[in-house]
Amino acid sequence: MKKSFLVVLITLLLLSTAVFVSAGGQQGEKGGASVSKGPVQLEFWTRETQSDRMATIQMLIDTYTAMNPDVSIKLVPVDENDMALNMRAAVAAGKIPSIIEIDAEIAVALGTEGILDTEAADIMLNKVGKDRFFKGSLRLFESKDKGVYYAVPYHGMIQGIWYRADWFEKAGLEPPTTWEAVAKAAEYFNNPQKNTYGILVGTMETESYDEQCFTPIAMSNNAGLFDKDGNLIFNSPEMKEALEYYARLAKTSPPGPQTWRARDYYLQGKMAMFFYSTYIMDDLAILEVAKGSLTSDNFKDLKGAEFDPDLVKNTKVVTTISHKKDAGFGAVVSMAVPKQSDPAVRDAALDFLTYLYSPNAYITFLHMAVGGMMPVIEGVADTDRFLNDPKGVYSRYGKEKIMEIVDGLNNIESFGLVEGNRIEAASVIYSKKIIPQMIYKVTQEGMDVDDAMNWAESAMKELIK
Amino acid sequence: MHFKKKSYAFVRRSQVLEKRERNLGWFLVLPSIVIISALIIYPIIYNLLLSFFDVRMAGGNLFTGFRNYLDIIGDHEFWRSVWTSLIYVFFTTIGTTLVGLVVALLMNREFPFRGLVRSLILLPYVAPVIAVVYSWQFIFDPVNGIFMHISYDKLHLFSQRINLVRSPETSIFVAVLFGVWKNFPFSYLMILSGLQSIDKGLYEAAEIDGCSKWEKFRYITFPEIYFLMGSIILLRAIWNFNKFEEVYLLTQNVKVLPVYTYLKAFTGIMDIGHGAAIAVIQFVLLIGFILVYVKRVLKW
Repeated sequence: MKKSFLVVLITLLLLSTAVFVSAGGQQGEKGGASVSKGPVQLEFWTRETQSDRMATIQMLIDTYTAMNPDVSIKLVPVDENDMALNMRAAVAAGKIPSIIEIDAEIAVALGTEGILDTEAADIMLNKVGKDRFFKGSLRLFESKDKGVYYAVPYHGMIQGIWYRADWFEKAGLEPPTTWEAVAKAAEYFNNPQKNTYGILVGTMETESYDEQCFTPIAMSNNAGLFDKDGNLIFNSPEMKEALEYYARLAKTSPPGPQTWRARDYYLQGKMAMFFYSTYIMDDLAILEVAKGSLTSDNFKDLKGAEFDPDLVKNTKVVTTISHKKDAGFGAVVSMAVPKQSDPAVRDAALDFLTYLYSPNAYITFLHMAVGGMMPVIEGVADTDRFLNDPKGVYSRYGKEKIMEIVDGLNNIESFGLVEGNRIEAASVIYSKKIIPQMIYKVTQEGMDVDDAMNWAESAMKELIK
Repeated sequence: MHFKKKSYAFVRRSQVLEKRERNLGWFLVLPSIVIISALIIYPIIYNLLLSFFDVRMAGGNLFTGFRNYLDIIGDHEFWRSVWTSLIYVFFTTIGTTLVGLVVALLMNREFPFRGLVRSLILLPYVAPVIAVVYSWQFIFDPVNGIFMHISYDKLHLFSQRINLVRSPETSIFVAVLFGVWKNFPFSYLMILSGLQSIDKGLYEAAEIDGCSKWEKFRYITFPEIYFLMGSIILLRAIWNFNKFEEVYLLTQNVKVLPVYTYLKAFTGIMDIGHGAAIAVIQFVLLIGFILVYVKRVLKW
């Protein structure tokens, strides 16, 4: 009896395994070899997960599919922090999306693994006109091989230090353009007793925001991760200096590990400076928008809950920080086409992308996040159509300021680009969040700077070996 | 002779019948065996298999033997997370059971609107995790939260504002507190149903014998619900050992084993081999605990 039970169990087990394995195989093949006939179904992964932005993209999709009835497009929102993970899972499952909206680090990481279609990117670049793309943003997507691109830049943002110019003026402080000026002001305004703080820098171990704040500081001290030949040079005196300086700034941040969400404290008048992208422009400029993003709506009795209508007037931004040299940080988001075996899907994806680059669709897309999405091709930012955004934000800043910000897209520094050479390993380090973890260890767990750097170095070596 | 033949035929027929019955039995349990094999045994074996490989998403897994296990066991962070898990499981399990017991004892008495109160207590358990997690984060926000407003601004209990939910020193306590608050209603519900099934005659007899309230609890209530509570503790320990969403959504830096697994195996680059190895180790740890517990406490 026992024996026969075992035999049956084992047979069934093997059977079920065989069924699953063959099902998995079939699934893989489905994603691989079939050629679709009739209507083409595209899947577009966007990192714009907010419902209003999705509605705008859906509108663009509806317009396109009305003109192209044999194409249907499914819009899938994916959080930017999960994009790399979901993409790899999709590849493993053989259910590859047709177009993905991703930032440069992820594009390079996925491209290095051979997941992205560089040929499709090239076709797209030529369609739009390679010369029209800002060189600074285009080079972020270049592979080790010159002239081969992993994805096509679509929109960009610049990060800077936004600060209360009125407070600075009153205190007689210099604008926060240098290491000394930033630290001096941060320590001057930091007054936890009165619930006001100096500067917001990222200190949470799971957030890319930390690295976005840290990059310009390290870069301005000539501290990189790699030399131009791709050797790891992370553990340097310059990097240590940068980390110590960062930890000093973190002492003037609101208590505990913080991330970009703490920008609300600035809007409530409880903080003097914060690292943030141009995405903040509409929050600052529009009373209603800012009110909507205040988490303190729930605590009306507390001081500082009222919105300050003069905030936009009193806020200024510096887009580079200088120490041994000037450094800025920004991020360019691209449209990438993952490798498809079905040429019909690839062609349809390229056709839809061509539509997304057409002036009307392009500007409609960029206006979704006024300030946060700057054009990366020439001949857009200076047009009236672009400057007249629906919320009237750009007109408050003026054409000159907008052009200055757009120009900043040419000066973006990245750990993955050293003297024009693409260091692909930097993207792996970015996506595994080694630097945020190191910052967390130093600023929150009180780990010694040397120990934290040794930890980070060995983690990096482990990743790139 | 004739009789012998008949009995032989009878025995044979009964053997055939028995065989048929056995086959029918197998036929009837077949769907369950297939489902269990496909949904439970297959994933376990597949996971075990993966733990011996360097899994590559693009295909072509590389057999690495016990490499993944050695990596994990040699990782200082792993042991830290085992320790964190033990603290978390111990305090949440004790907390949910004790609070559940006290509330159940209270709710077992007669008072007006008892039905309404009894169901209201279930609220934390049925509320969606993500909604209550955000409420807790608002409450404990170091700059705007009501908790710091009262304890620091008004009562001066702290020397400075503290980010209780996120600071590495305090977040484990908040996670435990949250775990107890969120899950005690389950223990309460189970214990209450146990209490209701205790024979009232026992208490009457004890009263005649002049027992105090404590003695009634010690010698009647407690022995009656001992095994029930034992099972609740076992279930809660298993559940909380595998708890991910409540801990991760609330604090992110309380690295209990499931959170460690997630960070190790699924952040940025997927490392399925290591993830599978951790899952196996976690499984072994849990089975070890269950075996000891079942023998010692539940006395099976």
